[in-house]
Amino acid sequence: MSYLEEDLKAALRRVEAPPDFTARVLERLAAPEAPKRNWWAELALLLRPPRLQWVALSVIAGTVIPIAGIHEREQRRMEGEMAKQQLVYAVRLAGSKLHHVQKKVFEISQTDRHL
Amino acid sequence: MQQGTIDHVQEGLGTAAEGGIPDFAEIVRAHQGMIFSLAYHFLRDRGLAEEMAQEVFLELHRHLGSIESSAHLVFWLRKVASRKCIDQNRRRSFWPKFRLDEIPEPEAKTRETDTLLSGALGKLVASLPEKPRMVVVLRYQEDLDPAEISELLDMPVATVKSHLRRSLDILRDKLARTVGEIAL
Repeated sequence: MSYLEEDLKAALRRVEAPPDFTARVLERLAAPEAPKRNWWAELALLLRPPRLQWVALSVIAGTVIPIAGIHEREQRRMEGEMAKQQLVYAVRLAGSKLHHVQKKVFEISQTDRHL
Repeated sequence: MQQGTIDHVQEGLGTAAEGGIPDFAEIVRAHQGMIFSLAYHFLRDRGLAEEMAQEVFLELHRHLGSIESSAHLVFWLRKVASRKCIDQNRRRSFWPKFRLDEIPEPEAKTRETDTLLSGALGKLVASLPEKPRMVVVLRYQEDLDPAEISELLDMPVATVKSHLRRSLDILRDKLARTVGEIAL
């Protein structure tokens, strides 16, 4: 056995349990055991009348709030899209008007040159 | 464990299986050191180790009927303690912070007699991964051979030997560095 193994034996030698360990174990044995949780029974409890209302409310709130959020976001997106289209139309209109004015100015300047 | 205690425990097993608390208390007294030490060397936390050891004995009380002999009892206790320690360590790693009411009261004060080297080695063992750590604790605390450890931890003997070899290499390396730091 190597020195390290000897040292490990010394480091991992058994230690004394706390003096009242046995008493504590017996105390815990004597204490009534906490009832085990039955998930199905708890789920069934949720479906009984007083709780059922809250469950229904939660389900409705959980469904309506996200749908309202999505609808609101869609509404804003559509408004934004419409504003963008109007802006593009206005820019195009302004561009065509400008072009028209440029054309007129050019024609007048050509007429002046001939005179 | 001394022969007298073993005989006493053997006698007690029969009546304890029928629900006799005094005999069960005898069993707890005879094995509490082993189980508490396993938990303490593995978890390195006296409060948690005590809680864990208590859980092992509570489970033993529920399964007393299936215990056939003193040897079986020791095997059963070591097996359950090893499993519980590994499970507890996984929970602790997953939920590193405890709620205040979940922290067990410190029942026992840390002994001051640990030498510097033993203390350092104990901490280094606690830093090993779960399974190699349990292999090392069972090997050097309980003096079990690889075949016995393999049976307890449900792993091949070759794996136990490989865990031991690698753990010793890691510990040798870390200890050299730790001792170097202490010496400085």
